[in-house]
Amino acid sequence: MSRKRIINVLLKEWQFLFTDINSVLLVTLVPLLIVGQLILYVWLGATFAGESALNINIFQNALANLQSATPTVAALSGSEQFQVLLLSQFNLFMLLIPLMIAVSVATFSIVDEKLSGSLEALLATPVKTWELLLGKALAGAIPALMVTWICAGVFLLAVAIMGWGYLLGMVVTPVWFISLFLFTPAVTVLSFLLGVIGSSRARDAKGAQNLVVFVVLPVLALITIQVTGIIWFTTLSALLLALGIVLADVIVLRIAVRLFQRESIIVQWR
Amino acid sequence: MKIIEACHLTKKFGELTAVEDLSLTVEQGEVLGFLGPNGAGKTTTIRMLSGIISPTSGYAWIGDYRTDGEIEHLHESIGLLTETPGFYEKLSARRNLEFFAGFYPNIEIKARVEKYLKTMGLWERRQSRVGTFSKGMKQRLALARALLHEPKVLFLDEPTAGLDPEAAREVRELVKKLSSEGRTIFLSTHNLTEAEQLCHRIAVIRTKLLAVDSGQNLRHRFFRREAVIRLDNPGGTVVEAVKKLAFVEDLREEADRLVLVLSEPDKNRPELVNAIVGAGGRILEVSEREHPLEEIYLKLMREEK
Repeated sequence: MSRKRIINVLLKEWQFLFTDINSVLLVTLVPLLIVGQLILYVWLGATFAGESALNINIFQNALANLQSATPTVAALSGSEQFQVLLLSQFNLFMLLIPLMIAVSVATFSIVDEKLSGSLEALLATPVKTWELLLGKALAGAIPALMVTWICAGVFLLAVAIMGWGYLLGMVVTPVWFISLFLFTPAVTVLSFLLGVIGSSRARDAKGAQNLVVFVVLPVLALITIQVTGIIWFTTLSALLLALGIVLADVIVLRIAVRLFQRESIIVQWR
Repeated sequence: MKIIEACHLTKKFGELTAVEDLSLTVEQGEVLGFLGPNGAGKTTTIRMLSGIISPTSGYAWIGDYRTDGEIEHLHESIGLLTETPGFYEKLSARRNLEFFAGFYPNIEIKARVEKYLKTMGLWERRQSRVGTFSKGMKQRLALARALLHEPKVLFLDEPTAGLDPEAAREVRELVKKLSSEGRTIFLSTHNLTEAEQLCHRIAVIRTKLLAVDSGQNLRHRFFRREAVIRLDNPGGTVVEAVKKLAFVEDLREEADRLVLVLSEPDKNRPELVNAIVGAGGRILEVSEREHPLEEIYLKLMREEK
């Protein structure tokens, strides 16, 4: 029955989401802009900065890590090494797509129910809190994830079109796959759960968005520490991190259920 | 058979006591009117009984389920019409009902939704967005939603509030129909006439439960029964004859009427009529004064203050 109820919530959320043109644009257009932006950075870096960029301290550390993880990179020209370095950031950069969708979609999930008055009727049905929250989180996370994967395809295509296809073998590594198919889904679900928590705790949509903006910060930190070479994700560390996030998903779902105070939501929000 | 049983229910929000020590029972198939002024605790009581909020102390049973226990099963056996209908306004009436029906086990969703859209006279508008509905239509749709899983117990929180007279009448007719089907209905309302028309018993609340009984019993409890005799020829001889009757406890004259309090109204009335006729009185009408429920309600409110 739980699966049926979660799917019920999920289908309604999708129907609701896709009747709103702003949401549709957010889910389709914004991710493509993010990919376009990344391709532009790589092109600008390779064209105008080139080899000289590698003289910057922060990139030297990262390049050393990259060469250690993928020794064949050392055989490339300095400009090409810089390109591979930038292209390798793609999988972390892509995390911004589900995060942005989460901030904009998940934050409204409970607030809207309360403002429309439908939440009380919903809570009078046999739906359990965790089914409701998971349904809402998945309803945003699944399309966000699909779009992220499509964007990954678009990215690879764009790299090939730009004439950098020969570098893909050094970019599309096991870490890439772990990141895209394990780490990204786990982070996506996590960010949507955090979005739903924000939505259930805030008094209005704006307050919820303010809370959820903090979700983006750890991902930005993650990108920064990899670009600056403080850490470099190997297959093992990427796998461990991904499993850690999956565990965090389960814990955060439990926390979300605890924080979802039916009573205060029903009584105090008017 | 008791189907709702509240035992010493109390709900506090911080320093504020919304409901205090409320105990009552509702029999299966009964319609209980729940009356009280704004802020009296009506909605809070319904929320506690329907398991949406927990009491601060006390407990309640709905059928076999405690309201702070197996919420999932409790919610399968009750229907709730909330104070505001609350729908997804961008979705159609049908889709809204299908969504809510999807949470209940063993329901043939499409057939059940069709049944209640037809029952509520909304079948023709099934594909319309709920946002385009009038208040009355939304209220009927909310009733349909509350009935989708065919619950034994229905909680209706001010079902006619804010409706125009025609829409309110439609909703009252629906409640009568549901009552005739044997459902137990807990009806919160401000409308005293509505309560009198629809309910077997009436509970009056102002944080505490002030009274609970049938309308007739409440009248008898708060006002003595008064016989009213309208005469064609009111006058001294008739009044004198009536005064001599031992069972007449009180008598007053109001224009062409005599208003009397009798020791045993049902038993004494024929003797009273004989005495008046014997004294030459020509009786036009014999009736009993009906105190409107409003008087009882206001009296209770004044006493509570």
